[in-house]
Parts: sequence; structure tokens; C-alpha cells
Amino acid sequence: MKRYDLIVIGAGPAGLSAAIEGAKAGMRTALFDENEKPGGQLFKQIHKFFGSKEHKAKIRGINIGGELLKEAETAGVEVHLSSTVIGIYPEKCISVNRGDHIENYRAEAIIVATGAAERMIPFKGWDLPGVLGAGAAQTMMNLHGVMPGNKIVMMGTGNVGLVVSFQLLQAGCQVEALIDAAPRVGGYGVHAAKVARTGVPFYLSHTIVEAKGTDHVESVVIGQVDEKFRIIPGTEKEMEADTVCVAVGLNPMSQLVRMTGCEMKEVGGLVPACDEYGATSIPGIFAAGDVSGIEEASSAMIEGHITGLAAAKYAGWIEEDTFKTQVEERTASLEKLRQGMFAPQNKGKKIEKTDEGLPVSASLLERGYMDANEMETYPGVVKKEGVHPVIECSQNIPCDPCQEACPFGCIKVGERITDLPAVTEDSVCKNCGACVAACPGQAIFLVNEDEDGTYGTVTLPYEFLPLPQAGDRGKGLDRSGRPVCDAEVVKVQDTNAFDKTAVLTMRVPREYAMTARFFKKEV
Amino acid sequence: MEYKVFDRTKPIGEFTAQPDDDLIICRCEEITKGEIRKAVYDGMYTINEIKRYLRAGMGLCQGLTCGRNVKDIVARELGISPAELEEATPRPPARPVTAKVYADCRGEED
Repeated sequence: MKRYDLIVIGAGPAGLSAAIEGAKAGMRTALFDENEKPGGQLFKQIHKFFGSKEHKAKIRGINIGGELLKEAETAGVEVHLSSTVIGIYPEKCISVNRGDHIENYRAEAIIVATGAAERMIPFKGWDLPGVLGAGAAQTMMNLHGVMPGNKIVMMGTGNVGLVVSFQLLQAGCQVEALIDAAPRVGGYGVHAAKVARTGVPFYLSHTIVEAKGTDHVESVVIGQVDEKFRIIPGTEKEMEADTVCVAVGLNPMSQLVRMTGCEMKEVGGLVPACDEYGATSIPGIFAAGDVSGIEEASSAMIEGHITGLAAAKYAGWIEEDTFKTQVEERTASLEKLRQGMFAPQNKGKKIEKTDEGLPVSASLLERGYMDANEMETYPGVVKKEGVHPVIECSQNIPCDPCQEACPFGCIKVGERITDLPAVTEDSVCKNCGACVAACPGQAIFLVNEDEDGTYGTVTLPYEFLPLPQAGDRGKGLDRSGRPVCDAEVVKVQDTNAFDKTAVLTMRVPREYAMTARFFKKEV
Repeated sequence: MEYKVFDRTKPIGEFTAQPDDDLIICRCEEITKGEIRKAVYDGMYTINEIKRYLRAGMGLCQGLTCGRNVKDIVARELGISPAELEEATPRPPARPVTAKVYADCRGEED
């Protein structure tokens, strides 16, 4: 039986981070993952991450994964891929299925970072080909380059449902509808808004009644639900679709860690009861990331680092002092991410007001986009002469790259990274587009409300191919995706610094400068 | 976790059919909602019993997809919260392993 100082199970964001800390502390560290490629879900996250610079905000998940993997290799982590851990036994032993045989290993400490699996909701026809998890659809598109279908119905408006819907659109699929049984959008408003403005309708308080088809999905029947989630008869609507994506939450994959006999608790899924550093009730067995409670990748990475340090301290590889100072730093960073309206402590709560005391947009929560008249309540939306940023950011989420993006000091988030960004009073926008490309929520626009008495311009983030070109004509779509005016592309910036978020400027009749938020080329 | 312990001498009533009983819940083993509900009235009150009685959760995905749904259905029949029902005992192998692999008994030096 081969021995290591530290074994980490799962090479996702938490596992990689944990293994890095172990190896840095000098431990002989092995990292096992059942997949062919490391990174867990990170490599299919093609969107820019939220947070602050220290959380690698505005960097795409796929690139964060690449950095992390390099760091692990430099630190000396032995990464074993296509290596499925099938059991954990007493005395910190594990069995690994590799190819056609089983290998056994033993370590001083084991960190379980097995992540989560997608939840499924059974409905009539859910076992038809064409019904799949949103994460599975993401794997098909972003890892294997396969479109999951042509006409998609997405069930679930949490961040997974919203982000994957956007990526489906990017892949060239048509998203017919976004459906949620809840009366309000569950994910970030900015994620909803960027989907809504392309013209995808949101159906809140709706569920799927049935997926119809003979040998695959051919159509989907949806229906409105009452407050007890019962379908209201007569509200059914049938739409043509070949794919249903289900994004109704995740289940921690805690089967392996449970084999250790550690104490478990129920927190939206069965998870090991851990101390603040990820130690389970069994000495030497630790857990980090989604397996110990569903959050997102940025938190999982920090948790991984903390748990890696804890395992190193447990096995005697780092001193108490080193542990304390390093963990303190990480914990402070984690606390920043766990703030704002979507923080774990606010889960399920209906939040009516922002930290600034402003009413939360009801339209955003019920339809996926803000009403024009609600817009001006927020500090990022001001009317000014000349080009100026319009920041359609209305919820307190931990994110502040916009503030740093503007080299001219036009944008201020303030002390707390959850504060709403504001346009500073006497600043002058130089129309560079850096903020537009930097905002992970794609919520910043540069607007000139009146260029010449007839036209105005709107500069918007654009992440679809083929990229429109200057001179292209088409329609300006409003926040709901409705074509409202003629539009002509006057400039498209696509520099390396913008990292694949093109910044598109369109000219629209000036009365639509505060309304038009997306461009659709005339075909 | 404190799990609910049932007094099995107390009757839970009769099984009554529901319109969506033919809905497949465990896709790997093709077990329907009706079969799971009926199993409860046959006396299977725990997830371990349901699993052995019906094979729900014993297929390719090892309950990763249906586990939670089976739990919800059983809990509803018993009138308790799903959190009060203990999940099936986790055992190796956590993922399906082909018999060929087990047959490969290359000796391992300790």
C-alpha cells in the first residue's frame, strides 16, 4: 500500500486549492479525480467571475482553473486523473479504481472535496432523451463542443440556470423560456438581465407539466402554479422544444465522506458536520467545497486553502502561528464573499431593500429585467451630458471590478464590495469601454443620450459570434429583448485587455438611448 | 443527525393510487413512483429497506440522481420531513466497478 502525507479526493476548485496548501507545507500530496481532466466544474465556467481582485474577479473560470492547476504542479502535487476513489476505510485508507485494477493508498490526512451532483425534479416525460441537467448541458457545450439541442426550455432561475442559459445562447441555441416555480428569480439580477435583453421570456411561478415526444423531447407543456406549487388548471401552454435543462439545485456528493462514519448534518442536503476549518468529527478527515455545503467556486477555493492548511497543521507540518496568520487572511477574504443579498445567511429570505435603503426592483425579480422607471433610483444610473457610464447594478452582491477598471475614477463602489457602484459626480468619462468589459454581470453601458440632437449612442458588452461590424444595421432591443428602434453599429472594440467581451457601440434615435440595451443584426 | 425511529405497530393507512404513479423515479432501474409508494405500505419505512426491496438507487448512478426524489416520496407517505429519513448506508464501491476489475487480483506489496 502506497503512502502519502495527504490525500485529496476531487480536483475541483476546493480540492486543487487544498492540495496546493498541503504540498506547499511540504507534505507528499496526492490528488485523485475520477475525470480525465482536472478542475471540476471550473473549466466549463467560461464566464467572468464576481468578487474582488483577491478573488480573481473578472477572470473567466476556465482561466482560474488553468492558473490553479499550474500552481498545484509547481507546488509538487501528484495529480492522478481517471482515478476513481471508490471507498474510504478506517486508518485513512482509500481504494482507487484506475483503469482495469484497484490501488490502495493511505495517508496521514484525507481531504474530501467531491463536490456536488445535480438535482432532478421528476415530471411527466422527464426520462425522455433531451431532458438533462443544466450542468450536463454546460459540459456538452463547453468541454466537448456539442450543442445539447436547438430549442431549449430552462427550468430554474438560480445562477446556474441563468448562466447556462446565456451560454446556450452563445453556443447558438435558442432558449425558448426560463421557468421557475418560485415567484422570484433566484440568481443575480444582472445574470437574469443579460439573458432577458436578448429576448428570452421568463416564466416565474411556472413549472413543467410534461415533456412530450415519442423517442425524444418534441414539445414542453408548462403551467402556472399557485402558492402551494400546484398547477393552476387552464394555464397550461405548450411550446416547441427539443431540450429541457434542469437547474433546480445541487446535492452534495457526500457518499464517500459518510463512509468514514463522520457526523453528518442536513443543510439543504446531507453534509459532514465540520468545524470552521473543514475538520470532520473523525480526526484527520476533512471536507471542503460543495460537499460540505453548496456555495460557488470562489468560496470553494478559499475553503480549500483553509482546509489544506488545517490538514497540514493536524499532521504536524505547519506551526500553530503560521496556521493562524494564513487562515486569518483567507477567512477575511471568504467573509467578503459571504456578504450581500445572496449570502448563505440570507437564503430563502425575501429582501425588499438594498443596503442603501433603495427598493429592490420587483420587475427584475419577476420578469428578469428592470423597468426603465425603476432604473434611475440606483446610484449607478445618472443622466449627464456627453458619454457617461450607466451601471444597471441594483443588488448588493460581492463584486467590485468596475471600480478598478475605470482609470479616470468615474466609478466608486466604496468600502464594502457589496455596495452598489455609483457614478462619481464630477468625473469625466473618456469612453474607453474598460468598465463595460470588466463587469462580470455585463451591467455597465456607456451612454450618450444626445449626440447631435437626433441620435444618441449606447455602448454595450457583447459576447456573441459572429461579432457585428461597424456599419452593420439592425434593431436596438430594450431590456426585455423587444426590438424598439433602428440601430447602427458604429464601433466594435475587441482588445486582449477586454478578454473576449467585445464592446459594441450602436447609434440609436436619442429617445432610445436609455432604453436600447442590446443589438440584433438585420438578417 | 437524529433520525426518526418508527413505531411499526402503528398503522399508516391503506395505499391509494395516484394519477402520476407510473412516473419513473429511478431511471437506472426503472422504478416508478407507484412502486415506491406501495413499498412503504408493504412495510419498507427506511431507505435501506426500499433499496433492497426495489433496487432503487442500485443502478449505474448509484442513487445520485434519484436518491433525493425517493427520499421525498417515502417521507411524504410517512408524513415526515425528508431530513428525518436516514439515507442508504454508503458502501464501497461509491461508483460502479466492473467485475473484471475485481477479478484482477494483482498482488500488492504492503
